[in-house]
Amino acid sequence: MSLWKLELLRLRRTWRGPGLTVVFLLFGVIGPLTARYIEEILGGLGTGGVEIVVPPPVPADGMAQYLGNAQQVGLLAVIAVAAGALSFDGTADIAIFLRTRVSSMARLVLTRYAVYAGVSAAAWAAGSLLAWYETWALIGGLPADRVLLGTFLGGVYFAFVVAMVVLASAVTRGAVGTMFLAFGIVVVPQITVGLVGGVGEWLPGHLAASLGALTAEATDAGDYVRSTLVTVGLSAAALAAAVPLLDRREV
Amino acid sequence: MSPASEAAAGVAADGRPVLVTARGVRKMYGEHAALDGVDVTVAEGMVYGLVGPNGSGKTTLLSIIAGVRRATDGDLALGLPRSRMALLPDTPEFEPWLTAHEVVDLARHLVDPSIPRERVGEVLVDAGIGESMHRRCGGFSRGMLQRLGVAATLVGEPELLLMDEPASALDPAGRREVLNPIARQRGRRTVIFSSHILADVQEVCDTIGIMQRGRVIYEGSLEELLIGQAVPTYYVRLRGDESRARAEFEREPWVTGVEVVAPGELRLSVSDLPAAEQGIAGALARAGASVVRVYVEEASLERAFLELTS
Repeated sequence: MSLWKLELLRLRRTWRGPGLTVVFLLFGVIGPLTARYIEEILGGLGTGGVEIVVPPPVPADGMAQYLGNAQQVGLLAVIAVAAGALSFDGTADIAIFLRTRVSSMARLVLTRYAVYAGVSAAAWAAGSLLAWYETWALIGGLPADRVLLGTFLGGVYFAFVVAMVVLASAVTRGAVGTMFLAFGIVVVPQITVGLVGGVGEWLPGHLAASLGALTAEATDAGDYVRSTLVTVGLSAAALAAAVPLLDRREV
Repeated sequence: MSPASEAAAGVAADGRPVLVTARGVRKMYGEHAALDGVDVTVAEGMVYGLVGPNGSGKTTLLSIIAGVRRATDGDLALGLPRSRMALLPDTPEFEPWLTAHEVVDLARHLVDPSIPRERVGEVLVDAGIGESMHRRCGGFSRGMLQRLGVAATLVGEPELLLMDEPASALDPAGRREVLNPIARQRGRRTVIFSSHILADVQEVCDTIGIMQRGRVIYEGSLEELLIGQAVPTYYVRLRGDESRARAEFEREPWVTGVEVVAPGELRLSVSDLPAAEQGIAGALARAGASVVRVYVEEASLERAFLELTS
C-alpha cells in the first residue's frame, strides 16, 4: 500500500473527506436559499412592528451567502480536518512507524499535503458549483467564467490554508495546538495588516472573497494576480520550511 | 561539548563486520543525562541483549541508533544504512482504521516495493496473527499489537532489528508468542533486544550489554558473564539443628561464606567448585547432619546482573 492510498483510506475511513464535503455542500444549499427567501425568513421570525425592506435578490447574492458561510465555518472545518491528519508526531509510536520507513520526510509531508489540499479545494468547489446551480434555479444565472475563476481562486486559498496547517504541525505536536496555531497564522495577518489600505489586495484572504466579488462584477481577473502569486509563494515557503523542521524533530 | 558525529563502523576482532559502534555517546534532556558516555559494539549476526532497569537509557540508545533521536555528544558509527534497520517500539501503535494486512503491506511498500506482496501474509502467519489479518487493528489487544509490530518489522527483511522491550508488558503466553519469532532470527539477521526481564534476554540473546544510569557497565558474551560474575553457591537443607554443620563448613578453606537462610537451611558461597563437590559430603558426615537436600544454584543472568549493579 502506497502513501497515497494510506491518505485516501484515512479520508474515507475517518470520515474526514465525506464530512468536509458535506459541510461545503450544505453551505451550497443554504446560501442561495437564504438569499432567495430572506424576506420570508425575516417575516416568519417577526420584526416587532419594524418594517424591514429587503431589496429583490440578485444572482450574486446567492454566491455571497455561500461565501459568507464557507469563509468562516468552512475555513474552521478545513483547519480542523487538516490539523487532525497533518499532526505528524501527535502519536509518537505511529510517527516512529512511518518515520523509520519512508525514504524522506518530504515524501511523507508532500503526499499528505497534496491529498488534504486537494480534498479541501474539491469540497469548496463542490459547494460553489452547487450554490451556482441553486442560484440559477432560484434567482437567476451567473457568468460561468467568473464563477469558475472565483471557484479556482478559492481553491488556491484553501490549499494555502492547508500549507499553513503543515507549517503549524512542524512547530507544535498535537492536533489541537496545530489547529489554533494554523488559525492564527491564517487569520491574524488578514485582520491586522490586511486592513491597511491596499495591503489586503496582496494577501491570501483576497482570494477567499474573490467568488463573491467576481460574480458581483466588482472585480476582474487581473485584480487577483498579485494575491495569487503571494499565496502560491507563501504556500511553497511554508512547505519548504516545514519539511526540514519535521525532519529534524526528535520523536 | 562537541556535537555528536556519525561515521561508518569497522570490523570486529573475530573478523565479522561491525554494524553499530557507539563511543562516548551522551544524550542530555535539559540537565538530565539519559545517556552518559555509552560505549557499545554490535557485530553482524549478534543477538544483543540490552539489559537494565527502567530509566537506564535503553530506549534512548535504540532511538539514537534508529535515527529518531540525536545524540548530544559522542560518536556513532553505523555499518549499514538506516534503511536496512527496523525499530520496534515498546508500545507499537498503528492507525486504528487500518487492517493488520494493510499495516504490514504499507511497511513493505515503504521499505522496498519490490518485496512480493505474498510476503505480507507470510510474516503475519509467522507472527501468529494470520487469522486476524483482515481485522482493523483498532480492536487489537496489547499482545496482538506487539505481534503486528514484529510482522511489520520483519516484512522489510532488515539486516538490523532494534526491538525495545518487545515482550515486557505481556502475560507468559503473550511473551512466548513474541519471543519465538525473535528467537528464530538468530543466524538470519542482527538483533538488538532491550528488556528489563532478564529471563527473556537469557533465553534469546548471545551477547549482552548491561546498562545502569545511562552507562554500559558490562558488555560481552552471556557465557563469559555467567562464568566470570556469578559466584558458585550451594544450598543445603537439613533435618533439625544446622549449627554443627555450619561450624564444619566454616572450617573448610573452599567455603567463602555460610549463611542461614531459614531454620535448617544453609547457603554456602564457595571459591572452588570441584573442591566443594568433593568436600560437602564429608563436612556433613562429620557434623552428623540428617541431609534432606543439597543443590547447586545455577548461574543466572539475574544473579550476575544484581552482583554487577549492587
